[in-house]
Amino acid sequence: MIKGYAGRILDVDLGSRSFAFQPLDENTARLYLGGKGYGTRLLYDLTPAGIDPLGPENPLIFATGPLNGSLAPQSNRFAVVCKSPLTGGIGSAACGGSFAFGLKKAGIDILIVRNQSATPVRLEIDGDRDSVTFLDATDLWGQGTRATQEALGKGRNHAVIGPAGENQVLYAGIVSDERIAGRTGVGAVMGSKRLKAVSVTGTRKLELEDQEKFNDYTKWLRKLFRSHPVLGEKLRRYGTMGIVNTTNARNILPTRNFKYGHHDDAMSVSGEYLEDHGLVGVKSSCIHCPVACGREVAVEGAGRVKGPEYETAALLGPNLEITDLRWVNEWNFLADDLGMDSISLGVTLGFAMELQERGLLQAGLAFGDATGVSDMIQDIAHRRGLGNELADGVKRMSERHGGAAFAMHVKGLELSAYDPRGSYAQGVEYATTNRGGCHVQGASMYFESTGPLTIDPQSLRLKAEIPVVQQNLACAINSMVLCIFTTYGMIPKQVHALDPKSRLYRTITYFFERSGPLYRLLMRLKLAPVTWFEKWLTYITGQTFTSGHLQEIGERIFNLERMYNLREGIGGAEDTLPHRMLHESTFPHLDSGHPLDQLLPRYYEIRGWDPQGVPLQRTLDRLQVRT
Amino acid sequence: MSITVELTYDLAKALGSRRLELEGTPTLRQVLTLTRDRFGAEGAAFDRLTRVTALVVNGVIASRTHSLDIPLQAGDRVSFLKAAAGG
Ligand code: SF4
Repeated sequence: MIKGYAGRILDVDLGSRSFAFQPLDENTARLYLGGKGYGTRLLYDLTPAGIDPLGPENPLIFATGPLNGSLAPQSNRFAVVCKSPLTGGIGSAACGGSFAFGLKKAGIDILIVRNQSATPVRLEIDGDRDSVTFLDATDLWGQGTRATQEALGKGRNHAVIGPAGENQVLYAGIVSDERIAGRTGVGAVMGSKRLKAVSVTGTRKLELEDQEKFNDYTKWLRKLFRSHPVLGEKLRRYGTMGIVNTTNARNILPTRNFKYGHHDDAMSVSGEYLEDHGLVGVKSSCIHCPVACGREVAVEGAGRVKGPEYETAALLGPNLEITDLRWVNEWNFLADDLGMDSISLGVTLGFAMELQERGLLQAGLAFGDATGVSDMIQDIAHRRGLGNELADGVKRMSERHGGAAFAMHVKGLELSAYDPRGSYAQGVEYATTNRGGCHVQGASMYFESTGPLTIDPQSLRLKAEIPVVQQNLACAINSMVLCIFTTYGMIPKQVHALDPKSRLYRTITYFFERSGPLYRLLMRLKLAPVTWFEKWLTYITGQTFTSGHLQEIGERIFNLERMYNLREGIGGAEDTLPHRMLHESTFPHLDSGHPLDQLLPRYYEIRGWDPQGVPLQRTLDRLQVRT
Repeated sequence: MSITVELTYDLAKALGSRRLELEGTPTLRQVLTLTRDRFGAEGAAFDRLTRVTALVVNGVIASRTHSLDIPLQAGDRVSFLKAAAGG
């Protein structure tokens, strides 16, 4: 077996309460790494088209990669893959915490959970004894994710669902420690299996090809990270909420259900404001991460809890016209404890408020008014009253009540908190990402709106190229599996020190903007490992990984996801943005929204797809994507 | 109508105000000067806090659209922008 892998897949059947260990396939690991890539390959091969995402035939796949268990900083994530009940297409989400580490210590690369249990069940996996115990979970059913993990105890690493997952809220997530695999409804699939929790233990040691080089390099890198302006400073000091004032100034902060991109009082939900008003502590919440981007806040009745991320602060804050951090903290805690994706939750609440404002729905919710929101969040998680409808997300809500023009989703997945009208590459990424409208499948906005060296976000230059390169990279990173924030470290601190008003800054961005094919060519070079994830993979597996290798692996994964979606009937017609994003302007110098129609053909061409967005056979052959 | 100047958190903390309202239609250069003036004898603090910031007019980086000497329009919003990373 290639070093870095435990070499085993654990296949569990909840229906027959049986399990089997199988060998990991080396060739698949070479082609898809692990994590999301390997998981997608398995999903494609194990299931026919058209299965019910909440039925027994949808497998729930927990997948680690070769970096997990290596103690490399930020290598704490696992991927969850299944058919999404929210989008009907590929479902995938990544999660920090400690579960990935636990799986690897148990000698398991991938856990497949098939079928459904008739009654609430939980699994205890002991990797040293090669045992799986099926335990009754009736006593835990109905408990929040925090109480559940407390009850399960400290000696093992857990992945659990809360009431939202149990009740199959279509955007329910799976929680490990205080982190959540939030997107695409993976928690609803776990709930449909009546699987409350998976706990894992083991003491196996991961074998690396060159432990000494790995150790020396990682020691050096930790120092570099500590002095990096983002990884060592900004994320640690302000958390991800430190970006609020930046997106607000850029006019891309979702406000009033994305009607506007700016809120006059946004600063009140920023990381800087939190630091001065109510921050209780700084914490990682993810094992082996020196960055520690998590916040700790106090919530009445709950005590010290993990604070909100940027997405949550924006979408449960200005997007609802709320800028009182006490509410945002409380709703964030509720979302985490009930086990649901706070992005989809915030967008769904904003949509309900706009429906109410337009007289299309009586929800008892209003922009700028916190009254009833906490109760509604509880109702959503328990599918009570109108909460039962909001639990299905904005796409289905708009099919029932109207308002499709301002239903903020792509492919059924609610949009993240970067308004694409002021960030064109991000818009292309939202439109084309296989799991739907999400920002962490590329984070293109960093190069045009939020990072230290940004090109013009509203010109057409490079706006098809950046998403392709970034989506490929993100697919590879989600298959190693590393935290996507590791990519922030790729821009050296010298660049962060550049004054955007300087001639040098303008000259660099001028040439970057015009670098088109050269930029893609450079990223595809297979010369030598440069970044830490390339080096780590090389030291761990003994195979050489370069930027070009990762682009190729990522492109393969992205195309396989695409083929999965096409098999489910989700094609080019779904590569779009909400009407509001395409046709309503938030910038006084423009009279329309995002110019997707001008960018999509170029994007397809670069991808090697036909004009309908279908991968050409020669593209699939080049990438060895078997369908 | 006036120009609204939105400050970064650090600038706002130093001045005790999140935004400034400037009457008339000053140029960006004047916005910089007028904001710096608010710092009085602490002008060096303003220079330090704006060393790696961009100027943004209505959400668009100013160097792309505005000369420092072209008057702004009434109702424009000028923001000091700092790069950040979130997720
Ligand atoms: S950077 Fe933040 S999200 Fe990423 S692994 Fe570290 S603590 Fe977790």
